[in-house]
Amino acid sequence: MATVVIMPRQGQSVESCIITAFNKKVGDMVEKGETLFSYETDKSSFDEPAPESGKLLAIFREEGDDVPCLENVCVIGQDGEDISAFVPKEEETAAVAPAEVPAVAPAAQAATPVAEPTATAVATDIRAISPRARLLAEKTHADLLKAVPTGPNGRIIERDVQRLVDLGLTVSPAAKEGYSVAMEGSGINGKVVLGDLNAPAVAEAPVAAEAASATPVAAYEDVKLPNIRKVIAKSMHDSLANMAQLTLNASFDATKLMAFRASLKAGAEKMGLGNITLNDMVLFAVSRVLLNHKTLNAHYLDDTMRYFNTVNLGVAVDTERGLMVPTVFGAEKMSLNELSKAAKTVITAAQSGTINPDLLKGGTFTVTNLGSLGIESFTPVINPPQTGILGVCNITKRIKEVNGEDVTYPAMGLSLTFDHRALDGAPAAKFLKELCFALENFDLLLTK
Amino acid sequence: MPKSQYVDPAKAFEAGYIHFDDIPVCQYNKTLKEELKIYSKEDMMRIYRDMAIIREFETMLNEVKVKSEYNGVKYNNPGPAHLSIGQEASAVGEAYCLDINDFSFGSHRSHGEILAKGLSSIHKLNDKELYDVMKEFLDGSVLSVVEKHMNAGGNIKELAINFLLYGALAEIFARKTGFNRGLGGSMHAFFIPFGLMPNNAIVGASAPIALGAALYKRSNHKPGIIISNCGDGATGRGPVLEALNFASMDQITKLWGMDGKFSDGGMPILFNVFNNHYGMGGQTRGETMGFDMAARLGAGFNPSQMHAERVNGYDPLAVIDAVTRKKKLLLEGKGPALLDVVTYRVSGHSPSDSSTYRTQEEIDAWKAADPILAFKTKLILGGVATENEFVTLHEQITNRMTEIMKLAINDEISPRMDLNKEPDAISSIMFSNQNVKSMDPSREAEMLMPKEECPRVKEIAGKTRTATDANGKPVSKMKMYNICDGLFEPIIDKFYDDPTLIAYGEDNRDWGGAFGVYKKMTEAVPYHRFFNSPISESAIVGSAVGYAMCGGRAIVELMYADFIGCAGDEIFNQMAKWQAMSAGILKMPIVLRVSVGSKYGAQHSQDWTALCAHIPGLKVVFPATPTDAKGLMTSALDGTDPVVFFESQRIYGIGEEFVKDGVPTGHFAIPMGEPDIKREGKDVTILTIGAVLYRALEAAKILEEKYGVSAEIIDARSVVPFNYEKVIESVKKTGKILIVGDACERNSVMRDMASNITEMCFDYLDGPAVVVGSRNWITPAFELEKSFFPQPEWIIDALHEKIMPLSGHVCTNNFTDIEKVERAKMGL
Repeated sequence: MATVVIMPRQGQSVESCIITAFNKKVGDMVEKGETLFSYETDKSSFDEPAPESGKLLAIFREEGDDVPCLENVCVIGQDGEDISAFVPKEEETAAVAPAEVPAVAPAAQAATPVAEPTATAVATDIRAISPRARLLAEKTHADLLKAVPTGPNGRIIERDVQRLVDLGLTVSPAAKEGYSVAMEGSGINGKVVLGDLNAPAVAEAPVAAEAASATPVAAYEDVKLPNIRKVIAKSMHDSLANMAQLTLNASFDATKLMAFRASLKAGAEKMGLGNITLNDMVLFAVSRVLLNHKTLNAHYLDDTMRYFNTVNLGVAVDTERGLMVPTVFGAEKMSLNELSKAAKTVITAAQSGTINPDLLKGGTFTVTNLGSLGIESFTPVINPPQTGILGVCNITKRIKEVNGEDVTYPAMGLSLTFDHRALDGAPAAKFLKELCFALENFDLLLTK
Repeated sequence: MPKSQYVDPAKAFEAGYIHFDDIPVCQYNKTLKEELKIYSKEDMMRIYRDMAIIREFETMLNEVKVKSEYNGVKYNNPGPAHLSIGQEASAVGEAYCLDINDFSFGSHRSHGEILAKGLSSIHKLNDKELYDVMKEFLDGSVLSVVEKHMNAGGNIKELAINFLLYGALAEIFARKTGFNRGLGGSMHAFFIPFGLMPNNAIVGASAPIALGAALYKRSNHKPGIIISNCGDGATGRGPVLEALNFASMDQITKLWGMDGKFSDGGMPILFNVFNNHYGMGGQTRGETMGFDMAARLGAGFNPSQMHAERVNGYDPLAVIDAVTRKKKLLLEGKGPALLDVVTYRVSGHSPSDSSTYRTQEEIDAWKAADPILAFKTKLILGGVATENEFVTLHEQITNRMTEIMKLAINDEISPRMDLNKEPDAISSIMFSNQNVKSMDPSREAEMLMPKEECPRVKEIAGKTRTATDANGKPVSKMKMYNICDGLFEPIIDKFYDDPTLIAYGEDNRDWGGAFGVYKKMTEAVPYHRFFNSPISESAIVGSAVGYAMCGGRAIVELMYADFIGCAGDEIFNQMAKWQAMSAGILKMPIVLRVSVGSKYGAQHSQDWTALCAHIPGLKVVFPATPTDAKGLMTSALDGTDPVVFFESQRIYGIGEEFVKDGVPTGHFAIPMGEPDIKREGKDVTILTIGAVLYRALEAAKILEEKYGVSAEIIDARSVVPFNYEKVIESVKKTGKILIVGDACERNSVMRDMASNITEMCFDYLDGPAVVVGSRNWITPAFELEKSFFPQPEWIIDALHEKIMPLSGHVCTNNFTDIEKVERAKMGL
C-alpha cells in the first residue's frame, strides 16, 4: 500500500506552505527519515522526512508551489502500485474567486437577477485591476489592498478606487510597492516598461556627469527575496508607516546585576540552574515591571486598546533567515531560571528554523538585544500591534559622583520604543525608570 | 423602364426569326501592290521597324529572365514578364490607325501594345508637341535621363523613341524614373500623353474600364475612340461580357438625345481580342470556350453584331485594314465594334512556362509563319526594300536596346524609390486629397432646366430641415427634410457645377434610385449624364474607374451593399489602387453609393464597411443623419478620391435631430474622417458606426434613467480616414468604451477600432474596449432581426458584463467570456 505524504499543518494559523525544494525526484529510492522536500511558512522553514522507505512514485507539486496544508504532495510505495486515488483534484484546489462576480447565467436562466455589484470581500491580493483604476490609485495613493473589486471577474475598476479615496483609505506614497511614479522609463513617451523595472539601479548624477568616460556598470546579482524576508520587510515597513514611534534612552548601574550574574555562574551547576544571561535577567525584570504599565503590555487595534493580564514576551532572535520573534508565554509567572530556559528553547528553535509558527505570534511586548554586538543605543522597531519594544544595549564604563568623588561604574543602556498613539512620553518614561530601578536592585526584585 | 417605350404584349409574342449576318473571317486579300497605293515605303518600313523594336524589347526581357543577360549585359529581374513574341503584327497594325485622341487599354501582356501605340503617337505628334509632352511629364525626370545619356542626333522623334523605351523599361524594372515611378510595373505600364492608358494585371479587367473611357468620350462629346484590348482567354470573364453588353445597350442610340440635344450615337469603343489561342495554357477554341471563333460573340450583343470580324493578326496590313474600317464606324456613331485578331504567342505565358499544353511541332509551325519575317520577305520580294536596309535597321535597334537596358539597370541613373530616405513616398500618393469643384471648368454643364426649376429642388425648398418643429412637435414625414434629401442636394448641385459629373446604376433614372434619393431628378438631368445601367455591377464600377481615369467625375450606385461582391475586383483592385499605382498621375473622383438593407434577409442586409476599409486606397464613410449625409456627400463629390459611401435603408426617412438650426442650406461640407459627438456624457463612451446610432441613443436614455450612468455617444461618420483624437479624448474622460455597429462582429471595423483604442488609451481604460456587433450569422428574416442586430439592451448588457456591473441590472443577452469562447469554437 503506497503512502501519501501531505503538506503538514505547521500551527493552527498556517493555511498553506511553499515548497522550496525537492530533495528527491520521482523514481528515487528513499529511506525512512530522509528529507523528501523542504518547505516554508511565512515565518519558518522545515524539512519533511520520508514516513516510510520505498520508491518515490509521484510528485504532485512543483518547487515554488503554494500548497494548502494537508494536501497531498507526493507518494512513496512500490513499483506498480495504484496511486490514482492520491492525485489531487484540480478543481478542488483552485482558488476561489475573490469577489462575487456578477455573471450572466447560461441562456436557459438568462433572466435570473444578477448579484449586486457590492461585493464584500476585500482584495487580499490584487489580481486584476483596470489600467485606469491603477492610474487613479497611483494619483490618490489609495490603498488597493483595501479595495472591494466590483468589476467583472473581480477586477478593481475606477469606482472601487474612488470609493477608497472617498473613505480616506490611502497609504503614504513612500509605502507603496513597485517603481516610483517619477521614474523615467525607456518606453515611448517615457513609459516605464518591464525592462526598466528589471534594470540595475545605475549610479546617479555624479557618474553621469563625467561625460566622456564610459559609465561603469555595477556588477550585481539578483536574488529573489525569500518569503521570510518579504514578511519581515512588510511588517517592519507597516510598523514604521502606520505608528507614531519614538524611542527613549536610559541607562542603569549594572554593578549589582553583574555581580549577581557572576555568582549565578559560579553556583549554577550546584543549584541545577541553566546558563542565566544578563539578557535573561532583563527579560525577568521586564516581565515583572510590565504589569505595572498596562499600556505597554497591550495591543493597539485602531479604535481599541487590548490590555493583557499576562506577559507574553517576544524575544527578537537573529537567525540565518532573518529576524524572528518567538514568544515566551506567561513570562510573569516564571522564575528566573524557568524564564531563562523557556527563552533558550524558543531561541534555539527559531535559529534552527523548526519553530512552531504558533510560537511566533501572540507577544504582548518584545525585548531585543544588540548589546552583545556593541550597540550603545538604537531605535528598535515595534512589532505591531504591540505598543512597545525594549532594546538592550551594551555595558559601558561611566563616571558618577559618589560622595564628592568620581567613580566609574558599568552602565547598561536601554532603548524603549513606544507607540505614541497608545501612550504618552511620561508613562513610557515611568516604565523605563521603574525598570532601571528594578535592574539596579535585582536582588530586591528577586525577593519580591 | 422609360414610359416612352411601350411594351406591347402582342408584339412580344409575335412569331418570326432572328436573322444573323455573316461574320467575315480573314477576308482580307489585298495585294502589296494595292496597298502601296495607300502606304508609302516609309510607312511600310515604319510598320516593320515598330514590329522589330517590340520583338527586340521582349527578346531582351526574355533573355534577362532566362539567362540573366542580354547582349553581354548582366541583370536579374525578379518581376514578371508576360511576353507577346509573335503578336507584334497585331499590336502594330492596330496602333497604326490610332491618333493621340484614341485611347488604348490593355492587359498584363501589353508591352507590345504600349510600344506600338507609343511609336504610333510619336509619329503623329509634331516635334514641339512631342518635346513638350516629354518635358512636362513628371517634371522632365524621365526625359532628362535619355537626353543626358543617349545621343539622338538632335532628332526629337528618335529622342522620343528612346524616351518611350526607357520609360517603359525603367517601369518594368521598378525604377523611380519609370513611367509610373516603378509603382505600376510590367503589367500596368502606361503613358497617357500618348493615349496609352493603364494596362491591367487582372485578366479582362480593362474591358469595363475602357468602357468607362468610351462613356467619358460619349458623355462629354470628346473626339477619338477607345480600344479595349484583351486576350481570347479574357472573354470568359463576366466583367468583359458585362462591358460588351453595357456598351451595346439600346438607350445610347434610342434614348440618349431623345430630348433633341446631346446625341452622338453609339459607344465609341472597339473591343479587340488578341486571339493567341490560349488563356495561359487553356485553349479557348476547342477546350475552355464554345464560341469556335471569338468574333461570334458580337452576334450575341446587338443586332449589328458589333460589326464583328475575324482578322489575320499575323499580317499587319490586314489588321490595319480592319481597324481602319472599325474606327470609321465608331466615329460615325455606329459603335461598339468587336475584332477577333488571330495571332499566336510563340513565347511562353511567362518565362516559367514549359509549354506542357502544346507541342513543339505547333510552336515551330507558328515560328515558320513569323509575322516579322513574313513582312520582311514581302517587302523585299515586292521591291520595297533591300536585305541590307533591314540589316542596318536591326543593328540600330539592338544597339539602342542595349543602351536603354544599361541605363535602366544603372542604380545611379535609374534609382529605385528609397523608402528609407523618403518614407512617405507611397503614403503621399495613396490619396490625392484634392478639392476640385469642377473637373472641367471650361465647360457649362449640360442640363435640361435651370436648377431652381428642378421639381425635386422645389419640393425640398418647402420642407422643414429639422425633425421637430419650433414647438418640439415631430414634423410630418412628407414635410420633413430627410437623409435622401441630404444626399440629393449636393448631388444636384454638383450636376450643375461639374459638367463631367455622371450618375448611373440600376434603376437610377425614372425610378429615382431604389430608395428615392434621385427622385424627380430625371426632369433636370439629360440621359447621357444620368441613366439606368444594366444589372452589371462590375461594369458599373469598372466603367466609373475608366471614366475617372479620363478626367471625369462619377457617382455610381450598387443599390445594396451586398452587391459589393459582384464588383469585387473593380472596387478592390481598380478603384482603390490606380491613384497610387500611377504614382499619383491619375485621380479617381468616384463616389460609390452602397445601401445597407434591413428586412430583406441574408443577401440584402449586410454592412460590409470592413471589406472596403481593409483595402488600402478607398475612403469609406457611413453617415446617419441628414446633415452628415449632406456634408459628407459634398466632401466626397468635391474630392478627387474614390469614396465608398455607405447609406442605411433603415434611416433614409429620418429627419435632423441633432443640429438645432436644421440641415444647413447651400454648399456645406463635413471633412471626411471626423467623428461627431452626438450626445455628451461622462461615464461611458459609445462609438457608433452607421444607423445603430439611434439604438445607442435609446441605450443612453435607459442608462441615464435607470442606472444614473451618463453615456457619451460619438458617431464615427467616417471609417477611412478616421481621426481618433476625439474618441481618445472621450475615453480619457470616461475610461469606458463600447463600439457598436450593424456589421457582423468578427473582423469588423468595430474590432479594428477597439484594438486601436485599446493601444492608444490603455492607461486610461477602466475595462476592455468592447464591441457590440451583429451575430456572426446570416441575417434572418425581419421578424427575427432583433436577435441578430445590436439592440439597446445589448449595449447595456455588454457594459454590465464586460466593463462596469450595473446595480440591479438583469442581462437578457449572454456576453460572458465563456459564451464567447464557445461561439468562437463553433465558428460563430
